[in-house]
Amino acid sequence: MNKIVSFTLALAATLLVTAHCASAQGSGAAPAATAPPGDVARGKAAFMSFGCYECHGTVGQGNYGAGIRIAAPAFPWPVVSSYVRRPAGDMPSFSVKILPDATLADIYAYLKSIPAGKPGSAIPLLNSTLTPK
Amino acid sequence: MAKKKAGVDRRAFLASIAAGGAGAAAGGVTPIAAAAASDAPQNAASLPSVANASASLPGPRLVAQEVGTPAPDIDRWHVRNAGSDYMVDCLKHVGFDYITCMPGSTFRGLQESITNYGGNSKPELLSCTHEEISAAMAHGYAKMAHKPMAIIVHNTVGLQHASMGIYNAYADRVPMLILVGNIADGATRRPGVEWYHTATDVAQIVRGYVKYDANPQSLQSFGEEIMKATSLALTPVQEPTLVLVDADLAEMPNDAKQLPLPKFVPVRAPVADPAALADVAKALVGAQNPVIVADRVARTPAGMALLVQLAETLQIPVVDIGNRMNFPTNHHLYAAFDRGSIAQADVILGLEVGDFFSVVGDVPDFPVRQTVMKIKPTTTTIHINSMYLQGQGNYQDQQRFYNPTMPIAGDAEASLPYLIDAINRAVTSERKAQNTARAARLSDAWTKRRQNDIATAGFGWDASPISLPRMFAEVHNLVKNDAFSIVGPTGQMGGWPQRLWDLDQPYHLNGGSGASGVGYQHPAAVGAALAARDQGRYAINMNGDGDFMVQPGALWTAAHHKIPLLTIVHNNRAWHQEAMHLQRMANRRERQPEHATVGTLINNPNIDYAKLAESFGVYGEGPISNPDQLGPALARALKVVKSGLPALVDVVSQPR
Repeated sequence: MNKIVSFTLALAATLLVTAHCASAQGSGAAPAATAPPGDVARGKAAFMSFGCYECHGTVGQGNYGAGIRIAAPAFPWPVVSSYVRRPAGDMPSFSVKILPDATLADIYAYLKSIPAGKPGSAIPLLNSTLTPK
Repeated sequence: MAKKKAGVDRRAFLASIAAGGAGAAAGGVTPIAAAAASDAPQNAASLPSVANASASLPGPRLVAQEVGTPAPDIDRWHVRNAGSDYMVDCLKHVGFDYITCMPGSTFRGLQESITNYGGNSKPELLSCTHEEISAAMAHGYAKMAHKPMAIIVHNTVGLQHASMGIYNAYADRVPMLILVGNIADGATRRPGVEWYHTATDVAQIVRGYVKYDANPQSLQSFGEEIMKATSLALTPVQEPTLVLVDADLAEMPNDAKQLPLPKFVPVRAPVADPAALADVAKALVGAQNPVIVADRVARTPAGMALLVQLAETLQIPVVDIGNRMNFPTNHHLYAAFDRGSIAQADVILGLEVGDFFSVVGDVPDFPVRQTVMKIKPTTTTIHINSMYLQGQGNYQDQQRFYNPTMPIAGDAEASLPYLIDAINRAVTSERKAQNTARAARLSDAWTKRRQNDIATAGFGWDASPISLPRMFAEVHNLVKNDAFSIVGPTGQMGGWPQRLWDLDQPYHLNGGSGASGVGYQHPAAVGAALAARDQGRYAINMNGDGDFMVQPGALWTAAHHKIPLLTIVHNNRAWHQEAMHLQRMANRRERQPEHATVGTLINNPNIDYAKLAESFGVYGEGPISNPDQLGPALARALKVVKSGLPALVDVVSQPR
């Protein structure tokens, strides 16, 4: 299995547990399994105006020392919808008061719309040695 | 030589009397009046006549006692054998190749001597548009050249400008010699500006972050203080030192004629206690998961080879915090920034770690700030650190107190040969036999980490603004077969050179700012690029736009002195870290995080860095926002750099 996919799945599993716990501590209701309908254009604008891009990059690619990759593929909706409210790491919390559910759904629609690019291993400029000295 | 109390005009006055005859007719001209007259137009008819001197003025005997035989060296208009010539001899004697300078009248005598007496060579004056540039250039230069640079700044206002650059160098443990012009004697200062530009205690401005300061009162003392200050700056803990240059001493004749130059012998670095190193060796030999954390270890090119030898002796992974070029990134024991290995370690050996607390603990940024520890309670922590030998009272650059299991005072690089020797004595054949398996395991971890980094670098590859891994990869593609130096920190951009480039030479990296004072990177890169040029290489600097705009004038210095530096502006059009901070505040208070960009964006209008570069006489490319156009733009700029000149590429880039 691709290492990154493996890493992402592992992270998603962790976040799902976190999301469930967060939800249990909050409303007590389990997070919805699927995202409500969202608008990609509005979501992209919100992704920028709410500052998501500051850590995760404009296409959700992430970077070391900033936010993790959150797009292509996007995490499952239950993870996203819970984690932004009660994040486990350094990420600041986005409460419903400042980021309504409908806006979050738009952002999620944008994240889902971002196409996956070529894997790094297929990019010639990233053809780095894999054998240390 | 005793310092003359009354300065230029008193001496000129006495000399004139000696030349013209003290028994001339009275006229009531006082030294103060003569001092005021010194600013008058150089018209002989308007000058006060020494023939009008009063009968109460000193007679020939007193004149002879005061000035000896003055006529050959001084008259109303001329000075020979200036004291600042001897000052230049001192700087040459110590071996300074360069001295950065923004002109200032308090050191005009020394500046003139450097050019006309010293031939503007060793030291050569480097022209700067701001004293902060002078300090930062010296900072970057010293790390790359492994020798200090001198800077000379104007009194008060010049030193105030330089102060933040000096603070960065202090916090980064980098030597430099700061010379500050000074007109000590109030009776000889011209009215107005010379008073604004003087202080009772000049060095007080920076005393909290220089290792030593001196105010020599004679040329002989000046020479001795230069040797002492340089020696102290170079002795670990390496830090800036300061010597005042009295204008009177500099501008008046050197009466002693043949002052000897004090002997200059660098002090040997302090080595850790052998018994303590034996304890360290025992702990490392007995450890199952030891980790080395290296920070400012490699003071010299020999440091990296020593650290490799240490790591290989027991096959210990090295986490490199990166303030020096400590360890080859393509070595199987290189653990990059992987602090996960620290959590699992049973023995942690820290070497010159600026913030050891952050290695083992943290205070996360939440409304209630709490201390958390990141290591097991049973972990043995060792720290060999020269900073145990020094303390300053005011600034908190030594970070939070953490007492390791074994705190050991001493310079790490100087101590490494003795530690390696101690390990070789302590290691058993059984322990040696484990090395092969350890090497294989750590080699596999290295490969997995690089594979992961390659995959991560591919995310957002075609994005616009351009992703940072793409920006670095495009540069790497062009420079990978050359001898180059990366002369700016890259940690806040993801540290991609350390992750994907094979950096295995002591000159490949030059560390960070020390105190994170913005305005360091660009001028420090120019200074480091100068050292790289002298060593036969060119330099590369990926520079955030916020830092770049603090001292863009350093571009002009690079052009003026033909310093081959490729500047790549990481142009995210923001003081981005501050935007993140503001967003955190707004989220915490549950009000409008979308306002976090107010006051933190550098846009509307966007700055055109290529045009800015061109205005300084530097080749400019950009702004480049299409990733497919980046490689060709970089290639054109690099061609200029390889011709020996600076160039700049403005890359419109992702925020992080």
